[in-house]
Amino acid sequence: MDSENSACGNPNPNPTLGPSKLMLAFRFLRALSLVHRTTPASSRTCRGRRIERAAYASMAYSAGTGRGWSRAVLRRLHHRARRRAVAPRRLSTTAGNRAEALRQLVPGGAGMDYCTLLEETADYIKCLSMQVELMQGIVDSSSSYGP
Amino acid sequence: MTEIIGFRGRYMQVCPSRSPPISELKNPLPHFPKCHRASTVTSLLDHRRSDPLPLGAWNRLVVDASLHSRPSLGMDPPSLMPRLPEMCRFPMLGMPPPELVPRVGRIGGDASVEESTVTEQCGGSKGRRRRRDPPSSGGATEDESSKFVSTCSGNELAEAEAKRLKAIKSTDGNDNIKSEAEASSGICNKLAAQNPQTTEPPKQDYIHVRARRGQATDSHSLSERARREKISERMKILQDLVPGCNKVIGKASVLDEIINYIQALQHQVEFLSMKLEAVNSPMNTTIEVFPSKDFSSQRYNTTSSLAYSSQTREYEQGSGTEWLHMQVGGAFERVT
Repeated sequence: MDSENSACGNPNPNPTLGPSKLMLAFRFLRALSLVHRTTPASSRTCRGRRIERAAYASMAYSAGTGRGWSRAVLRRLHHRARRRAVAPRRLSTTAGNRAEALRQLVPGGAGMDYCTLLEETADYIKCLSMQVELMQGIVDSSSSYGP
Repeated sequence: MTEIIGFRGRYMQVCPSRSPPISELKNPLPHFPKCHRASTVTSLLDHRRSDPLPLGAWNRLVVDASLHSRPSLGMDPPSLMPRLPEMCRFPMLGMPPPELVPRVGRIGGDASVEESTVTEQCGGSKGRRRRRDPPSSGGATEDESSKFVSTCSGNELAEAEAKRLKAIKSTDGNDNIKSEAEASSGICNKLAAQNPQTTEPPKQDYIHVRARRGQATDSHSLSERARREKISERMKILQDLVPGCNKVIGKASVLDEIINYIQALQHQVEFLSMKLEAVNSPMNTTIEVFPSKDFSSQRYNTTSSLAYSSQTREYEQGSGTEWLHMQVGGAFERVT
């Protein structure tokens, strides 16, 4: 899944305008089909997690390496692929300080100053909402064709 | 003594907001163009330049002090006198002793402002002393005194000049001083509008931020303020991104909203991915078509991406392959 995404060529050429929806759709659909092809139908939970990782991977690739959060996501994915660990869980806002909670939510947020963190959060929210739209569209379209 | 009173009288003339008791010294022009005020105080300071350096430094300090003083504090003539010896002490010290700082503050302005001006004064005075001695820099000192003048005439320029003084300190060279002078004269023209709240950088090598009235001018607080402005600017961007964030007031609630939104989005991704694992993708055959297409050109096709959300709804009516055709908009063979 990761190898397929990395073979896609150079990342987003216009990082300032934000990720293009088309590229996001393309990458995600390709990753999705790959996941469906490779995982056996028995391991349902595993496939769900892989789809989620594919979603984040395609999101990060579409955003390009110009963004701190996308680099962190890709770094995390590559390391996890090697170590065979479970997908990273998001921690809840048990942190009293809101900046700390934000750092836990946004990937790669721990190593940033507050100013950069806010900028990365904005970009992350943009990409996340695009990804959610895309996935929602796929689910809706496929469910309308369901039996 | 007389010259001190004379100075005070001239000073009253310079700052009309002080409501000078000496009415005959009131400037005939209600609107004070820079050049006019400059001329009056230039003559004063030229007279002053023959004095030893500490007193010259004190002049500027007092002018600065009362320029951004609170209106409640008046410039009582008798209060100036006992301050003289304290003021004269400042340039001698490397740093003003902390017990003197509140007294400076009492004269006018924030203590922090005074401290910063004094600090820069002490540091800058050495530089000025250096520059005054060589005869070649005679012109430079002229510029400096005119610079004092231009700052005297404006509240906000005091802080800008403090910053420029630091710039003078950091860069050796008379050319810089000259460019500073003309920059300050440029600012003079802008100041005719009497707009104390603007922060506009003059064309310089450094970024000059004009500090607001009554605020500190050391580099730390200036960078702090710039940082805070950057942060608030980004918070505004985030508020626009997150729906429903405009109704909340306060940084904390906005941050809470943002955090909730991100958590909701991430949960949605998780939920949708679980839904998708059940979906046996009907586009399996059409996906194979994609890699053959050259997508580097399609990347800039923003119209199709904008129509994305509408297309997903149309997909429900059309077939799977047709949706992809509409998406790409390019010419590729229909996969049946």
